[in-house]
Parts: sequence; structure tokens; C-alpha cells
Amino acid sequence: MFWILVQKELKSILQSPKFLASFLTFSILVLLSFYTGIREYKDYEKNYNTAVNLIETNMAQADSWSKVQYSAFREPNPMQIFASGINNDIGRYSSISRWDPVKLTHSVYNDDPIFAVFRYVDFSFIATIVLSLFAILFTYDAINGERENGTLKLVFSNSIPRNKFILAKFTGSWLGLVVPLSIPVLLGFLIMVISGIPVSGSVWVKIIFLFAASLLYFTFFISLGILVSALTRHSSTSFLILLTLWIAFVFIIPRAGVMAAGQFIKVPTNAELESQRTAYQQQEWNKYSNETQKLWEKRNKEMEGMSEAEKTQYRKDKEFEWMDESDQILKQKEKDENDFFEKATGVAKNKRNQLEHLALILSRISPASAYQLTVMNLASTDLAMKQRYETAMKDFREKYNEFSEKKQKESGGFGGFSISFNSSGGFTFKDGRGKSVETKDLPRFSYQQSQLSAALAPSIIDMGIIIILTLAAFAGAYLSFLKYDMR
Amino acid sequence: MLKIIIEKELKEILGSTKFVFTFAVCSALILLTFYVGAKNYQINKSQYDASVEGNIRSMQNVTHWLMIQHKIFLPPLPLSSLVGGVSNDIGRNISMAGTGELTAAESKYNEEPIYAVFRFLDLDFLFQIILSLFAILLTYDAVNGEKERGTLALAFANPVPRDKYILGKLIGSFAALSIPLIIPILLGFLILPTMGVPMTGQEWLKLVFIIFTGFLYFGVFLCLSVFMSIVMKQSSGSFLMMLVIWIMSVVVLPRVSVILAGRAVDVPSVDEVNSKKAKYNSQVYEDQFKKMAAFKTNVQGQAAFQEFQKFMGELQDESAQKMKEFTQKINEERSNRQAVQQNLAFNISRISPSACFSLAATNIAGTSLGLINDFMEQATAYQDVFKKFQEAKTGAAGGGGIVIITRSNDEKEKNIDPKELPQFKYNPPDFGKALGKSIIDLVILIVLNLVFFFGSFIAFLKYDLR
Repeated sequence: MFWILVQKELKSILQSPKFLASFLTFSILVLLSFYTGIREYKDYEKNYNTAVNLIETNMAQADSWSKVQYSAFREPNPMQIFASGINNDIGRYSSISRWDPVKLTHSVYNDDPIFAVFRYVDFSFIATIVLSLFAILFTYDAINGERENGTLKLVFSNSIPRNKFILAKFTGSWLGLVVPLSIPVLLGFLIMVISGIPVSGSVWVKIIFLFAASLLYFTFFISLGILVSALTRHSSTSFLILLTLWIAFVFIIPRAGVMAAGQFIKVPTNAELESQRTAYQQQEWNKYSNETQKLWEKRNKEMEGMSEAEKTQYRKDKEFEWMDESDQILKQKEKDENDFFEKATGVAKNKRNQLEHLALILSRISPASAYQLTVMNLASTDLAMKQRYETAMKDFREKYNEFSEKKQKESGGFGGFSISFNSSGGFTFKDGRGKSVETKDLPRFSYQQSQLSAALAPSIIDMGIIIILTLAAFAGAYLSFLKYDMR
Repeated sequence: MLKIIIEKELKEILGSTKFVFTFAVCSALILLTFYVGAKNYQINKSQYDASVEGNIRSMQNVTHWLMIQHKIFLPPLPLSSLVGGVSNDIGRNISMAGTGELTAAESKYNEEPIYAVFRFLDLDFLFQIILSLFAILLTYDAVNGEKERGTLALAFANPVPRDKYILGKLIGSFAALSIPLIIPILLGFLILPTMGVPMTGQEWLKLVFIIFTGFLYFGVFLCLSVFMSIVMKQSSGSFLMMLVIWIMSVVVLPRVSVILAGRAVDVPSVDEVNSKKAKYNSQVYEDQFKKMAAFKTNVQGQAAFQEFQKFMGELQDESAQKMKEFTQKINEERSNRQAVQQNLAFNISRISPSACFSLAATNIAGTSLGLINDFMEQATAYQDVFKKFQEAKTGAAGGGGIVIITRSNDEKEKNIDPKELPQFKYNPPDFGKALGKSIIDLVILIVLNLVFFFGSFIAFLKYDLR
């Protein structure tokens, strides 16, 4: 009996013109999203390779350590094809140097704003909007539509238990929609493999989870559709209610949640931090120049009463000691500056984390945002990506600076250009350049994409939310149908 | 007769639960949008003020004008929080130096990616997605629905001319849907000054015009929907058709056009351009170093310093000039390619009325791609002012890389007064200019309105009433 009902449901879905239209639309959209995702990935990869090569060439040509400039780039991530997340919004690289802290700049949208105008379509976007809309379209009249047509009475003139009917209804619509709609998605995966995107084992696992999350999200809207259609008398009413819920879930709650959080927590901007840093640097600079001046005064005092020849000899003897002294002061200054900036950014980061935390909690009321967050987490293009990269780059910066400093010392100072002024001798210029530098051993930035478990852990809450909501909607539909007035 | 039909149409729409329901949702959303826009403006404004103040504060203990690190910021504009455009994607801060190239960095989304996750709620989004859906929902069965219910045959049992009937239907439904929307919009207008958003006369004019464009776009979907309800036999069919058209117009076409244009026109990447610049730069400085090494002077002491300062100034000017020419050339190449790509993308996207509306609205609001150029142009103009100021204060322009400041032990340096610094002001394009840029899109929207209006008119004259 159950299977007959399921078959009936399947037939009624698959044979409707509605199904054909939505199937075609969905297929076009999904394939389009895969196509653009792959192109976008390849463009990113191309740019990444060019940039990295350019850095290598420039380093090979550098003739002094002061000329070696390195930037750490974010690597392309195959999962961005499914969910670009904030991938295009945050900077692609950060320059690595002793003087400037790590800061990601040059986002894709900033460099090529044309893509920001209409944004990209990725799979998660299509799924969030279109899958849910289709689920509603096919289920809004599941129960009350049959009542209006009179078929409900007809069915129950046979001896059918109500619970079987509603279960069959759910199973039938689920199968009727999920199986055909999976076809373009699977085709998309195939295209991805064919176009030579490197898909490793862990990426496949992530893709499977992503697929499962999409199914779950779809199931929620199917249950919701059946629930509302079992709660209302007319299909026109249930459609309106569902459409409103859809708009609220997909468009309004996610945005409203973030904005509401923004009202409560104020985060200092980078510009503010920068100016604090500049002010501090100025202060440190004044301190530094005072200290150096005192140092020279002290040294001049030591040399008082010596003859010119003695002075020269003394200078020569003390040269390295003096250099060390100056170096110490400079190092202390750099360290102080770094510490200060770290502290200031730490405070801002805490605030920002609070904001993000609150925003996400508020927006998670909607299963659409829970779904999007899951997918972003799986794709590692979630909010925390920026921090993950910045932390990795910060660690790298320390290693890099240590290495290059050591090398500079070995090669004898900066190897750059020095100007000295002597009141009797005038200006002298020293050009320490001209030798090529060995940069082969210089550390290069490489980033380990987060482990599968790390990507999965944060999405458990979101998946859990969707599962609970789905179960609640289904149970609601089941219970309300048991008491449904069939007339 | 026409009046009666319009009245009937009005009554029918306004009396339906569907209308009451959707109207309530739309009104709530419109008010929310204005509220959120105003709130965002406040937040952005306070951040902007803090940034400017911080910039000034950072100069307070500085003793020399060449030692300052000056930054200018793109101020938030009231309209940019109502029609976001690309204003959150582009860099807002520019480090200012007397010479050298300016780059804008730190977009809102880069700095606060939380907003990038779900994007913002603005008028563009509201009209483009929600209100167009609203139009479809209330008119998809305008004609075939009446036929299904049998009221169409009933109406024509009276001596009603067909042309009057369809005219009444179109006018009636447009009036019934748009007039109620005006109420929450006007309330939204009131929210702005109440929440302290300083709107100038020009900005009010622009805002009214954006709303007008929104209604044109609304009209396109309304007429198209009525047209479909005549062409399609069943209301379920016309609904499905409209839904597909809506998805295509809102989601697919605009993005496809950008992809196509991206394929058709190749633009060199920023990294390539930057590396070319860096290479040329090091070449220029190589020359400069050579000249510096050859510097000789006959005078002694302080005078020697002054001479060296002057010599360095000239040398730096020369290098800066060379660099400027080169960067100008190479930037122009890239921006020309970019312009070609953008134009192509926009022209293709104009097949979609949603893209037309979005382009028109952002152009009027001043948050289209033109914002980037306007900002950079005005920043470059300011750079000259800043350079002159620095030269007047110190006799040299900063930014060349080497600054030599002489200090003697006995005299105490005085702090500079950062208030003397000329301020940067951003002027958005005026109404006439903004309108000029959006005229194509407005015309397209008007033409589409007319086409579907007369399309429904003609189709209905031959309509099979049974």
C-alpha cells in the first residue's frame, strides 16, 4: 500500500509541466555555477602562479638583501568552486617584511570590481535560493491541494491509514525531487574532474558532506511545505505563507542578524589602528633619536683629548661594539612597535570575534544561513579563513625575518646604500651592492588547508540546527495530518 | 466604462488576502531597509570620523611635516547606505604622499568579512528581488485566472469593449500595487532625517529618482506578467513562466554577461602590472643612486647640507616624474582594457531588466563602478594640493623615499600643527551627471514597459474568452 502511494506521488510530480520547467532551470543554473566556479578557480590559479613566479624572478635578480621582497599569497582552493564565501572579498596576499605587519590586501573584488557588481554564482548560492524555492513550489499544495481537487477524499475512500499516507507523501515528493535534481549536480562533479581541478581524497570527503548538507537543507523545505499545507485549508494561503517564510529565511534573517549584531558591538577600524601605530612609531622614533644622540655624545666624551690618529684607531677598535649598541636600540624599538601593534590589534580582534559570534548566532535562526555557513566551513572559505591565513603568515613572517636577518649579517650589513657626512670630509657614499644574493634557502610561504575534522567541527552546530528543524517540521506535518479535516 | 473597470480591478486586488499579506510583508521590508540604511550610515560615519581624527592625532607629536603619515578616507554618503553598489568592495583609504602613485586599500568587506557573508539589505536588493516577485505574484493570473474562474465570460456578458477592459486591467493593477507601496516608502523617507542622516537637496532628488526607476522596473514585471497571463492558457503555466523569467533576469543573465565579457576581453592582472612597476622603479632608483654617488660639493657644514637637500629634491622630482609617466601609461592600459570589459559586460547584461535597474540605481546613487574613478581622481587632485602644502612648509615634497632632516643639539624642535593640513573632501557627481550615466537604462526600462503594455493590449484583442 505504502509503495503504491509513493508511486502515485512520484508520477504526479514527474509528469507535471512544473517539474520539467524547474528541472531544466535548475540544471542550467547548477551547470552554470560549476562552469563559473571552475573558470574562477582557474583564473585565480593562473594569477597565483604568475605572481609567485614574478616574486621568484625578482628575487633571483636581487643584488642585495635589502632588495629581496617577498609576499605571501593565498593559494587557490578547489572547494571555492562550491562556495566562494569570503574568498573574493578579502585580500589575496600580504607582503612580508621586517617593517610592516602582516596584512592581507588586494581582494579580487577590489582589483576587478566588475565582478563585484553582480557577484559570482556558486553552487551554495544556487542551492540556497533555488533548491528551497523548488521544494516549496512542489509541496505547498501537497495536502490542501488534494483536498481542493477532491482527490484526498477519493484516496481515503480506500482503507488507508493516515500515517501511511503522510509518510508516502513525504517519501514520494522527496524521491521525486531529489533523484532528478541530483543528476546535474553529479554531472557538475564530473565536469570538475574532467577540467583538471586537483581533487584529493579529503576534498572528495568534503564534497560528499557538502552534498549531504544540501540534501538536508532541501529536505527541510520539503517538510516545511508539507507542514504548512497540512495546517491550512487553501493552497493559495499556504503558498503565500511559504513564500513569506522563504523570503524571510533566505534573504532577510541572515542579513538582519548580521546588521543587528553590528548595532551592538563596535569594532575599531584598521585605519584607527594604523593611526595609533603611526603615533606610537613617531614617539618611538623620537626616543630612538634621543638615545642615539646620547650614545654619540658619550662616545665623543670618551675620545676627548686624543689625537686624530688615536681617535681613528679608537674608532676602528670600537666599530663593531658600537654597531652592536646601535643595533640593540633599533631592535628594541622594532620590538616595542611590534608589541604595541599586536596588543592593539588583539583588542580589535576580540571585538570583531564577539561581533561575528553574535551575528552568526542571530542569523542561524534561518536554516538558509545555517546551510550557507556549513558549506563555507566545509569549503574553508568561512569567516575564520582570514584569521587562519593571517596567523599562518605571521608565523611565517617571524621565520622569514629571522632567516633574512641572519643572511644580511653574513653578507655584511644591509648591503645597500649608505651615506655618511663628515664635517671636514663632506659626503661619502658607499655602495655595498652588486653581488647577487642566494635566496634559494629563504623560506617560502606554504599553507596547509585545514584538516577535514577541523572543517567539519564548526559545521556540526549548523547541521544540527537544520536536522532539528527538519524533524520538527516533519513531526508537525505528521501530527497535524492525523487530525486533518478532509472535507 | 474604463473607470468602472479600473475600480473593479482596484477593489479586487485591494480586497484580496493575498494583497493584504504581501503588502504587509513588503511594507515591513521597506521600512526595515530604510532603518538599516540609516543605521549603517551612522556606523560608517562614526568609523569615518574616528579614522580622520586618528589620522590627525597621529601627527600631534611630529616635529616635521615630512615625517607625517597622512591618510585620506572615502566618506560614507547617505545614498551609499541605501544603494550599496560596489561601495563596500572598493578600497576606502589612501595613504597620501606628495609624489608617487596612490592606491586605495581596505574595503569594508575585506576589513569586516562578516558583512560579506550575507551582504547588505538595500533598496537595490529590495526592488530587484522582492518587489518584482511581489508584482509577479499579484498579476500572474490577471487574465487567464479570470477565465479559469469564469468571471471573464461574465464581464463580457456586458457590452464592454476589449480595449477598455485590458486598459482598465493594466492601469488598475499598477495603481493598486504601486500606490500602497508609496506609503511605506514615504515613511522610510521620514526615517532618514529622524535618524540624523544629513540629506542634501540633490540627494533627495536622487533618492526620488531611484524610487522612480524602481517603479519603472516594477512596471516591467507587472506588464510582462499580465502579458504572460494572456499568452498562456493556464494560470499555473503563466506563473511558472514568470518564475523562470524572474530567476533568469535576477540571477542568471547579469552574471553570465560578466563571465562572457571576462572571457572576451583580457585584462592584465594587478600583480603583473605591479611587478612591471616595481621593476621600472628599481631601475629608476638605480640611476638615482649613481647620480647621488657622483655628488660633489665645495661648501662646508650646514651649507653643504642645504645644497645636498636641494640636489636630492631635484633628483627625486626627476625620478618621481619618470615613475609617474610610466605608471600613468601602464595604468591607463589596464584601465582601458577594464573599461572595454566593463562596457561589454554591462551591455550584455542589459538584456535583463534587473541589471538595467541595478545599473541605473547605482549610477544615480553614485555607487557604481564610476565611484572608484571619481574617488581616485579627486584623491589625485588633492595630492597636488598636499604636495604644494608640504613644499610650502618644508621646501621639499615627501614620498621620494629619502628624507633628510637635520637636527642640531641645542635648538628644541617645535611640534607641527596638524590642523593646518588641507582637508580632503569627496564630492559625489551631481544629479545631472548621474542621470546622464543612467539614461540608457532608464530608456530601456521605459521601452520594455511600453512593449509589454502594448503586447498585452494587442494579445488581448485576439484573446479567446472561452
